[in-house]
Amino acid sequence: MSQRVLRAVFAREEDLLPAVRELRARRYEIADIHVPYAVHGLDRAAGLRAARVSWVGATFAFAAAFGIMAFQVWTSAVSWPLDVGGKPFASHPSFVPATFEMGVLLGGLGAVAALLVAARLYPGKRVELVHPRVTDDRFVVTLAETDAAFDAAATWALCERLGAVEVLEDLMAEERR
Amino acid sequence: MSAAGSFRSPAVGHAIPAYAPAPRLSRVVWALALLGAGAAAVGGLASPARLWAGLLVAGLFLAGLGLAAMAFVAIHQVSGAGWATVLRRAPEALYPLAPLGGLLVLLAIAAGGGALYPWMEPGPGSGHGAHGAGGFKAVWLRPGFFYLRTATYVLLWAVFAARLRRLSRAQDAAPSHAALRAANRTSVLFLFVFAVTLSAAAVDWVMSLEPHWFSTIFGVYHFSGLFLSGLAVVTLLALGLSRPAAPLEGLVGEAHRHDLGKLLFAFSTFWMYIWFSQFMLIWYSNLPEETVYYVPRLTGGWATLFVANAAVNWGIPFLVLLSQPAKRNPRVLARVALLLLFGRWLDLYVMIAPPVLQGEPAVGAAELGPLALAAALALWVVPRGLAAAPPVPLADPLLAESVHHHG
Repeated sequence: MSQRVLRAVFAREEDLLPAVRELRARRYEIADIHVPYAVHGLDRAAGLRAARVSWVGATFAFAAAFGIMAFQVWTSAVSWPLDVGGKPFASHPSFVPATFEMGVLLGGLGAVAALLVAARLYPGKRVELVHPRVTDDRFVVTLAETDAAFDAAATWALCERLGAVEVLEDLMAEERR
Repeated sequence: MSAAGSFRSPAVGHAIPAYAPAPRLSRVVWALALLGAGAAAVGGLASPARLWAGLLVAGLFLAGLGLAAMAFVAIHQVSGAGWATVLRRAPEALYPLAPLGGLLVLLAIAAGGGALYPWMEPGPGSGHGAHGAGGFKAVWLRPGFFYLRTATYVLLWAVFAARLRRLSRAQDAAPSHAALRAANRTSVLFLFVFAVTLSAAAVDWVMSLEPHWFSTIFGVYHFSGLFLSGLAVVTLLALGLSRPAAPLEGLVGEAHRHDLGKLLFAFSTFWMYIWFSQFMLIWYSNLPEETVYYVPRLTGGWATLFVANAAVNWGIPFLVLLSQPAKRNPRVLARVALLLLFGRWLDLYVMIAPPVLQGEPAVGAAELGPLALAAALALWVVPRGLAAAPPVPLADPLLAESVHHHG
């Protein structure tokens, strides 16, 4: 199942932000925005909710920290109790560095992995550019043609008025929305 | 300055009202000063050593706020960061606290002498200064040299505080590239001087309270707590100055708060990292000449304060500030900043008081008096500093970027 979309291509960041705000104010459904670099304030202009990937990262970090702490207690005090300088078998302060490092490592890797899964990115994935210059100097706003009331011609004209240098009709796979 | 106590800046669309201290403030200052002086007198009569230790804590607290404010602005200046330019007058108002706090420390040292610093007592080996210790300490820990160093730190901080503030004020009339370059050069120089004088001051003023003990990370440890407390006060001032009808209303917004929250979060964690780095190496190697510092601090009531220190300075701020909305919420930020200020006091108290009190922890007139005096001094100096200058650097080349900072 795929959906018809309109892609408005902008050449300048200064046009993109007001255009996104205007399109949102006119209740268009912005399916996605592709930009060659992180545009400051775009998340807010597009009305994106806070990214959940940081909570995935935090969950991984806490799980890793608790896991490695438990593992160190198990190896040092349960599986093979080892007397190190007369300290208790489960001497927690000496387990903290590994706990901290594993928390940071898996927090970071987990967040990246979650991002790749959510964005359906994997090694060897075929490149799907919405516009050949979107990784270079073009900003592409994708509008979903939500229902029969969607007036493609009027939207087209509106996008050009807002500074779009190019407007394209395209199909987008439904599950990508 | 235009009509009726307001300012115009090319980077700001509206007139910026001048800062006016709350009318009650001078009464609060007087009340704190009188209460503090009375408590200090009562506490000092009962136990002079405790009073001088309390004064040392209060002086270090104040000096740290001023130094952290100077370092905060200098780092932004050197790295060309523009987001904080709009709230720069807040840290600038704190600058004078660096030399003033240093003077309080000098007073504590002069009055406390051997009651605080055992190596100053006459005794075997003290002819060479260092409480019987030989070598480098015998040279370093001599009263004359010690006072000379202390005076040098305080003088250097006073010179840099005045010069950095003057170079910032130079941006009020017209954008000046000469002033910007001079401010950059002075900031670079200050950061070097700050790193050396602060490490040396921490070793001299705090570590030599227990002259046989040593920790090579002590300077960084002291910096981490100092910078965290400075960030907390800058955050509180930025929040207070951006309330409705205050000068920075509409200029300091969610994005600035978010950045201040991120800095508090990051430096709280940095403090914990450094604190633990010092603790764990000593705990793990378990050498008597090193553990002598931690044994009393893990005994009796001190153990509670020892754990509370980590919870107040890191545990609670870390969990509270973990989420993005919390870092942007002014009420949450203000409470965390206040908690961190309490944490700074607790950290200094656990550093300084145990060798003076010997037995169980005690907080009374001798500890609270100097703190009230320090608070009165800060509440007298900081609002005067804010009122003496336009609320933002009016013509600073980076002001526009800072005003339009949206994260």
